[in-house]
Amino acid sequence: MSGLPFHRRHDVRLALRYVVAVALVLVFVFPIYWLFTMSFKTPDEIFAFPPVWYPRAIQFNNYRVLFKDGDAATVGNSLILATVSTFFAMIFGTVAAYSLARFKTGGENLAVWIISQRMMPPVAIVFPVFLFYVWLGWVDTYVGLIILYTAFSLPYVIWMMRGYIEDIPLELEESALVDGCTRWAVLWKVVLPMARSGLFATAVFTFVFAWNDFLFALVLTRTEVTTYTVQVTHYFGGQSNFWAKIAAMSVLGTIPVFVAVATMQRYLVRGISMGAVKG
Amino acid sequence: MSDLKISGLHKHYGSFHAVKGIDLEVPSGEFTVLVGPSGCGKSTLLRTIAGLEEASAGRVEIGGKDVTWARPRDRDIAMVFQNYALYPYLSVYENIAFGLRARKVAAGAIDKRVKRAADMLGIAPLLQRLPRELSGGQRQRVAIGRAIVRDALLFLFDEPLSNLDAQLRDDMRVEIKRLHQELGRTMIYVTHDQIEAMTLADRIVLLRDGQVEQLGAPLDLFERPATRFVAGFLGSPKMNFLAATVTEGAVVLSDGTRLPLPPGRKVREGQAVILGIRPQHIAMAGAGALPGHVRVAVVIELVQPTGSRVHVNMPLGGTSIIAEFAAHDVTAPGERTTIDIDMNRAILIDPQSETVI
Amino acid sequence: MTATAHPDRNFKYWLVSPAIFLLLLIGLFPLAFSLVVSFMRITMLETDTSFAGLVNFTQLFKDSRLWGSLFHTALIIAIALPVELVLGLAMAYLFLDKMPGRQLFVSLLVLPTIISPIVAGATWRLLFDNRYGPINQILGWFAGHPVPALWTVNPNLVYPAIVFCEIWQWTPFMFLILLAALSNVDRSLTEAAEIDGARFWRSFRFIVLPAIWPVMAIAILIRGLDLFRIFDIIWALTEGGPGTMTETISIYTFVQGFRQFETSYTAAIAFLVIVLLTVIVTWAIRRMGLAK
Repeated sequence: MSGLPFHRRHDVRLALRYVVAVALVLVFVFPIYWLFTMSFKTPDEIFAFPPVWYPRAIQFNNYRVLFKDGDAATVGNSLILATVSTFFAMIFGTVAAYSLARFKTGGENLAVWIISQRMMPPVAIVFPVFLFYVWLGWVDTYVGLIILYTAFSLPYVIWMMRGYIEDIPLELEESALVDGCTRWAVLWKVVLPMARSGLFATAVFTFVFAWNDFLFALVLTRTEVTTYTVQVTHYFGGQSNFWAKIAAMSVLGTIPVFVAVATMQRYLVRGISMGAVKG
Repeated sequence: MSDLKISGLHKHYGSFHAVKGIDLEVPSGEFTVLVGPSGCGKSTLLRTIAGLEEASAGRVEIGGKDVTWARPRDRDIAMVFQNYALYPYLSVYENIAFGLRARKVAAGAIDKRVKRAADMLGIAPLLQRLPRELSGGQRQRVAIGRAIVRDALLFLFDEPLSNLDAQLRDDMRVEIKRLHQELGRTMIYVTHDQIEAMTLADRIVLLRDGQVEQLGAPLDLFERPATRFVAGFLGSPKMNFLAATVTEGAVVLSDGTRLPLPPGRKVREGQAVILGIRPQHIAMAGAGALPGHVRVAVVIELVQPTGSRVHVNMPLGGTSIIAEFAAHDVTAPGERTTIDIDMNRAILIDPQSETVI
Repeated sequence: MTATAHPDRNFKYWLVSPAIFLLLLIGLFPLAFSLVVSFMRITMLETDTSFAGLVNFTQLFKDSRLWGSLFHTALIIAIALPVELVLGLAMAYLFLDKMPGRQLFVSLLVLPTIISPIVAGATWRLLFDNRYGPINQILGWFAGHPVPALWTVNPNLVYPAIVFCEIWQWTPFMFLILLAALSNVDRSLTEAAEIDGARFWRSFRFIVLPAIWPVMAIAILIRGLDLFRIFDIIWALTEGGPGTMTETISIYTFVQGFRQFETSYTAAIAFLVIVLLTVIVTWAIRRMGLAK
């Protein structure tokens, strides 16, 4: 049979692909596995030589300590900062993107200026912002960080949403205008529903950015609004790292992002590729 | 009483002058068709009436009110768009109800009006579906339903049938005509298709380069075109144009063929003219010549049957003319025959000004 | 006479004004502020606002630690970026054709990209531990004897450690973008090339690469920018050490501003960084043909 060798070659190829795929997953997922399992280990298991590859029993003592000491509240701080700043960045960014997409406000110059703001290195921004915030009394406040995160996410939101909005047929908006909508109602009843998947994808990325930030929070917080990323580094110590706390705090801070990404997954892949294609 | 009055309307896009001073008055209840080739400004004119484009100069009045600077929503208009403009995330019902909800009509009244519109258009069974579950013709019905449910003073149509296939287009044309008769509302309809214009219109406004070329009832425009452009634009197949000279009371074609001068035209001896003859005004020579007809011998070049009629090409006056015969008159290519041309209905055009003499 | 201007004329400006206000506040203001402060002699301990001329800027050129940090940054970019690109592309090819369970594999592989960089750094710090970390343990199995490598301290090992962590976290990002780009390449083109007898490399070079280049260029640009400002991973792993060996430009700026309290000098550095980045990005955008 002439078809057989082809099929056999095909099968071998598929088997090879699985072998490589499994190996890759092992390499890429192992560190996360290690982090998660460590958060359930007892001190004896953590400081065992040779290392223990999995905890003997699931115990939540490491987490209990974080909640008892109040350290877990930093996850709440991160949640407040990331959620509120995402909310504002999405509102201001989307309406600005609508203006840029529909009315060509400011022409190409304004669009380029906005995206160039995205390229500013955070470390160059955070220093003068810190001096400014000291003067305003905004250091270690929610307001300060929320404004900073919102502003820092805006270029991304505007850029992404502009692409999504440009894809909405103009006729839909015109039809709504004729049918009796105000400009605002058109935005609310036509543009937002039409850009739904883009809104979700952009919001998730904006949330993840604010959630993952370390540098801004390191500089601009002290004790009141410490985020979980800063809290994790508080456990680093010269000789005696608080390993259990590092692991448990990291897991606490990772779960919300995993949940957000998992629930929005179907929008994200399209979001990444479309955003990249449109540039 | 006129529902729409436009005076001195201009529209510029940068350096492009799309509408060049249009004056137009549309009486109540009339079906007006704006027609012309692409780029003639017909869509721009319609969009300016709707308020989707800002007028650069001039004045628009709807229902006796100056609305030149009013928002679209304050103009008492409804509009049907080329690509249907249905909201993909709303059901057919909600699509039709959209305008009423935007205007805060009471829920009970909305339901009654949506159902009535759906019944009129035969889409009542589709009300709970989403637009993506509908065929092209059904979507178009929904789009029209969304406009008529509004009960506006003025209905605007922007090439609503151009995305449908030929069969559906014919059906929808009948539908729109029927709706106009039932509703008796003022409708303004933009198309580039002269058949749509002829069949639908009470009055045609033929536009060219941002200006009104001619305006009137369809038959008026067809039988008494003011310019060569109008004569050529309306009618299918297109009118035949032949270069000729007026000599001794006759029209002499470039190949020497002498045709009698159509009566009542002011021409001088030796004047160069363009002779316009509609394909429908040429017939196979019958038993006896009718008054005003002239008999010419020709050779058949090409035959295109359309079913009920047949289009026949033949050389005459140094060019190839086209005639429309009854199907049973079919003739084979290469055959010699004689034809009768109705010179009473032929037109003469001044080649300089391109206006009809 | 009724109104002669369109009632919605200012609508578009209302829409952009909040965003522009915020961007000016957080974007343009710091730039101007840095520039002003960089001409003074302010430190956190002393508020000498007298005009210092170009002192801070001439200082930049004599600061070997600054140029060292720029070199370290460039070194990390030069190694990590190509590896992420090639590895990401290879992974994208591996998962390009449909296979049962593909969605699950992709979801698992993307996990590292989602977690916070500081957590990624912390995780690898645990993994790299010379005694209780699993990496030395695994290496020991292959070597046949215990490996006591001090990954975050040994000058020969700190860069590999940083680059490993960086590659681990960001290759999935490249992978995801390139997978999307490859999926959008018209299959009939590559199949036609295959029928014409083109080898893989030829069809990649002349058909696939031009098709995915716009996306790839943006991915490279985004990753390049992120690598230029790399901070979190290094902060978690080495804090710039040993000594100043792994100090990148972001770490150095931070140290100058918040450890040494050299306010004016830090402002000068921040200004230099912004200018440098603007120049490089403009060049990159032109070079990669991304300008419209």
